[in-house]
Amino acid sequence: MKEKKEDKVLRDIFRQKLGNAEVVPSPSVRTDLLHRLERREFMHFNPARFNIWYACGIIAAGVAAAIILFSNPEKKDKISPDYSPVGTGKIIATDNQSLKLTEPEDEGKLADDFHGTKKQTNNRSEISSEIFHDNKTAKDNTEQNKGIPERTEAAGSLDNDRLIPEVIAEKNKLRNVKEVECLISASVSEGCIPLKVKFINKALGYDSCRWTFGDGGYSEERNPEWIFDVEGEYEVSLKLFGPDRIEKVYAYVINVYPKPVARFEIIPEDAILPDDEISFNNFSTGAVKFRWYFGDSNTSELFAPRHHYSKFWNYSVSLVAYSEQGCTDTLIISDAFTGSGYYIEFPNAFIPNPEGPSNGYYSSKTDESAHVFHPAFSGVSEYQLRIFSKRGVLIFESNDINIGWDGYYKGQISEQGVYIWKVRGKFINREPFTKMGDVILLKK
Amino acid sequence: MMSDQQIITGCAKHDRKAQQVLYDKYSRFLLGVCMRYATDKAEAEDILQDSFLKIYFNIKDFSGTGSFIGWLRKVAVNTAITHYHKNLKFRYYVEIEEFTSAETGVTSFEEDFFTSDELFKVLNELPAGYRMVFNLYAVEGYKHKEIAEMLSIDTNTSKSQYSRAKAVIREKLNKLRKLKSNYSDRE
Repeated sequence: MKEKKEDKVLRDIFRQKLGNAEVVPSPSVRTDLLHRLERREFMHFNPARFNIWYACGIIAAGVAAAIILFSNPEKKDKISPDYSPVGTGKIIATDNQSLKLTEPEDEGKLADDFHGTKKQTNNRSEISSEIFHDNKTAKDNTEQNKGIPERTEAAGSLDNDRLIPEVIAEKNKLRNVKEVECLISASVSEGCIPLKVKFINKALGYDSCRWTFGDGGYSEERNPEWIFDVEGEYEVSLKLFGPDRIEKVYAYVINVYPKPVARFEIIPEDAILPDDEISFNNFSTGAVKFRWYFGDSNTSELFAPRHHYSKFWNYSVSLVAYSEQGCTDTLIISDAFTGSGYYIEFPNAFIPNPEGPSNGYYSSKTDESAHVFHPAFSGVSEYQLRIFSKRGVLIFESNDINIGWDGYYKGQISEQGVYIWKVRGKFINREPFTKMGDVILLKK
Repeated sequence: MMSDQQIITGCAKHDRKAQQVLYDKYSRFLLGVCMRYATDKAEAEDILQDSFLKIYFNIKDFSGTGSFIGWLRKVAVNTAITHYHKNLKFRYYVEIEEFTSAETGVTSFEEDFFTSDELFKVLNELPAGYRMVFNLYAVEGYKHKEIAEMLSIDTNTSKSQYSRAKAVIREKLNKLRKLKSNYSDRE
């Protein structure tokens, strides 16, 4: 009960003090609110607030509606291009006599639709001859088109009245047949080798077809895919065969561009990073533009750039070569600086300086007389050299590759003879090495 | 001065003047409500703005029965709850699982000892979940079941959060009282 009472006190404090407490909002709240309100109200249409913006909106909507309405009829007139192959495409061969009768098999088909099957043969021959007389060459598309609707109209009225709307539709399509650009199309008309092209045959109403691709290849598929692997300009043609081996030819030109070849070489071959400046020799062919990726996020567009890496790493260098037509070739040399050029080698003899210890400091220039036992090396990052006497006593140790053994032990020049050395460490590509051997200490 | 009824009809017609009068008349009261549900004044003012937008666009839904001010408060509370849910996605806080107050049972508070500013501050400092439940239960007077529905939590969660909120508030008030009495002693 006590808990309850306390609760009530607590609740009452907050309820009485804060239940109706008033806090004055900052002035900016009011202005912000008004802006937001205006924006929101603008989005909510309200006739009471009709203003210039609504008026503009209505006008814009009206104009848009008008444009759509007036542009529509034209669209309706356009026919879908896959209707029939009547007089379209580029007709490139005219040696075949049958070509002059442009659409016999299709007409036959139309005739089938409009006449009973009994009349079929009779009808076809009639039409064929009619067209043969009217149109001497296939180029005469207009006349040819005229001829067909006339016939269909006649046929339609003769036969089934119920077919008339369809007849009119067909007629309209035929009239617009000229608008069909080409009966064959390709996924691409130009590109780089190897160029894969998908050809589409939009023609209807033929018995068989044969595509020839201009590179000696052919296909009898309706929509074949072809890969051009040699550069050149190819005239791809499609022959359509009707019932009487009547053929029509359509052509399409495919341009296949050569690919450039990206080639380069890294100099020096056994480069030590980051010390060496690297040259990139460019042997690319057929390219006009280059882009280099050095692998350390630096790039270059020079023909043969030089680059200085800031630290060791197994960078992958790539070169993208661009041809004039925009074809590309990429060569990637991955792990270009594997560190194959790193080495550490020790001599097999040395002659300590009899004049006293040198503490092992040497440089390859000053130590021509081989006073200090030290390695020849490249790309060493960690190093430990130990030298033992033949009895196994450790007489010298160095963790600094720049300090070798001067032949002294505890201030005394060592005995002439054979000493054992052992070295372990790592190259800067993190590859460890361990070597052991012997060295002859000579005295002058 | 417009009456509430005039304001309501004006606002329903999106009359700018009525909207401003409504704001001037009730913004301080509603910010007081919002302050209880927010961590600071800026957040409270955000909630206030959203509340007013809701009020302006939904004022025609106010039936006219019941008090107008009660309806306004309800809109503000609902907006605060929406805000809480929105922020829940971005806020990650670990609930204090076991809160043991060192001074349980000692406390009973004199009502006028704390100013409303101090009480606001106590509420603002509460974890958001505690603050919601405490406000809805203690100040607004909703039942735990209703609160659970509003916040889409379990009824038991509402209850336990309320008791934890009380413990935290009590401790805060005790500290505050000590501070205040020390201060007045020195004076």
